[in-house]
Amino acid sequence: MSSEGPSRVAHSAPSGGSAAAKPPAWGGQTPRWAALALVLPALVVVGLFFVVPLLLSAVGAFRAADGSFTLAHFDKSLDLYSRDLIFTVAIVALSTVLIAIVAIAIAGYLTLGENPRAVAVLRWLYRWPLFIPFVVAGQVMRTFLAKNGMLNHVLIGAGLIEPISAESMLDWRGIVIAFVWKQAPFVTLLLAGAMASLERQHIEAARNLGAPRWRVLIDIVLPQVRGTLLVGLVLSFVTMLSVLSVPLMINPNSPTMITVDVAYRINTFADYAVANALCLLSLLLAAVGAAFYLRHAVKRVETGS
Amino acid sequence: MKARMLLLSIAVLGVAAAFPAAAQTTLNVVSAGDQNMVDYVNNYLGPKFEQMNPGVKVRAVGTGPGDSGSQKIYEKLSAQQKAGTATWDVDVAVVHQRGAATMVDEKLLMPYRNDVAAGKLVSRDTATNALGANVDGYVLPMFHSQIAFAYNPDVVKTPPKNFTELSDWVKKNPKQFGYNGVKGGMSGVGFVMGWVNANSGLGDKLEKGPYDPAAKATIEKSLAGLKDFNQYVVMTPGNAGTLDMLNRGEIAMGPVWVDMFYTWMADGKMNPKVKLSLPSPGLPGQPMYYVIPAKAANAAMAKKFIDFAESPEVQADGIVKQFNWYPGIDPQYVQSKMEPAAWNKLFTDISPADLSKNGRPFPLSQYFTDIVEGYERVVLK
Repeated sequence: MSSEGPSRVAHSAPSGGSAAAKPPAWGGQTPRWAALALVLPALVVVGLFFVVPLLLSAVGAFRAADGSFTLAHFDKSLDLYSRDLIFTVAIVALSTVLIAIVAIAIAGYLTLGENPRAVAVLRWLYRWPLFIPFVVAGQVMRTFLAKNGMLNHVLIGAGLIEPISAESMLDWRGIVIAFVWKQAPFVTLLLAGAMASLERQHIEAARNLGAPRWRVLIDIVLPQVRGTLLVGLVLSFVTMLSVLSVPLMINPNSPTMITVDVAYRINTFADYAVANALCLLSLLLAAVGAAFYLRHAVKRVETGS
Repeated sequence: MKARMLLLSIAVLGVAAAFPAAAQTTLNVVSAGDQNMVDYVNNYLGPKFEQMNPGVKVRAVGTGPGDSGSQKIYEKLSAQQKAGTATWDVDVAVVHQRGAATMVDEKLLMPYRNDVAAGKLVSRDTATNALGANVDGYVLPMFHSQIAFAYNPDVVKTPPKNFTELSDWVKKNPKQFGYNGVKGGMSGVGFVMGWVNANSGLGDKLEKGPYDPAAKATIEKSLAGLKDFNQYVVMTPGNAGTLDMLNRGEIAMGPVWVDMFYTWMADGKMNPKVKLSLPSPGLPGQPMYYVIPAKAANAAMAKKFIDFAESPEVQADGIVKQFNWYPGIDPQYVQSKMEPAAWNKLFTDISPADLSKNGRPFPLSQYFTDIVEGYERVVLK
């Protein structure tokens, strides 16, 4: 659910820039009103169902039971959940790094691979997790990564580990694995698209001069698609911050991700105030990603690339 | 001409088909709890009631497991109360104790126990008292459920009889006991309640009150022991997660809901060797309550529905035999309606005597909050 939102944003940013250049062709005053009328329904929906609840939730985070201003909810959030906040950042950051590595490897092979059959199979395979919802990914990992789960059975069967050293990975590792498995294809999709649209001459020139493929990938291809990679990673970062199902299914115990704590405050204590405060704190984390994204999107529009 | 006749007859048929639907009463049953609660109404109770009352359609909706399920029902009713709606669209709700206490307190419910015949069949104090709140007259227990230790007798020859023995056992057998913390479902929460009850020395006070905020320190002291205990145990992902891990042989013991355990057993999802035991001084259990919202659209039909659901026949066949819950009404009325074998199945591992001695209610709401928050503060930090 949350994975499709950001991808739409990704496409709309550059096209929004080019649309802004077109209106003069319409001419006159009326079309401007018409344009306004056209976007109004969308604006109202966004305002009513997104901005207003967001503001209410932000206000709720600072409001005591008697309606006065207070910071007590933030005190409590930091007192009880600062460890989970750090854990959330660490997990999401680590996942983002791993996603980058996996996506570069897959997209790189799709662009530079020389065995057409292997490229075709990989191209067909890598997209599958894109269509699996997070909750299903969590559910699959629950049996796959358990101590006596499929992964360990395979490893033991292949003689790679001893049965006695098999351990459950249903902790932070499970969450990271689920995130990388689910989000890497998304970034790969963006990255492979960007790599495919590069001028082939650069690559061929480098290959003719004797550069190995990994040098071509790192020195020639990657610098040209850096922007796309960054956007994909930022969107993944923000998406992962908001996922509740995966940590809930894999490891709802401490330390856990902040989304689980938000759900827990509401479900167990009907405590919307602290939940709101926690949401605002995770919004701050997401804002870091948003700042990156905006800076880059603006740069792209300005340079026209 | 022929075509017109055809159209007309189609129209007549259409009206005839639509009419009974319009004359039907739809009884909206909204249930908190796991999916098996919704299944119980949709697959068992609803069809039987519809058969006995032509023209009535029972529609059951689930709001999710745990207290959050009841919280959603509370929020819905509360919103309708605040909006001043004349009739509310929930006729029968099935809620947890905490939810019932809040709803009675905010006048969201209608007293009905004296209006239904089955109201006289209840005997446990849960019919009048929900975690210290007086709910007399507003609720009837649908069933009682209980948390107990499930253990694999191949690994655990004699299960620990109390929490001290358990602590010794986990130190000798690290990572063989698993529970689901306080954020992963009520069987874990219940274990924590049992731990505090056993180790704080507060005993009955937690369940009967009066509430004393100063007890917080005592509670947190007993939770410090749990932090140490946690180093030797495995954290499981949820109520079902504990049963899963027992099944896969990843843990040898853990707290589970008895009804869930028996249902898995009956479905063949559970290692048949696994047994139950109830340690001293006890683990909590809880009823689910049938309640009627204060402005239910079909209150009369709702009472009839609950009366039927609480009848000894339904309690025997539906609640005990098919869904493996302990009865909501006094067991003596239920036992006589059942074959001894089916009745005894429920008490194979935990005798009725153990159940009445070590099956405890959850602590009062305020203590409950103190304990789970204390767990976050002392054990998790």
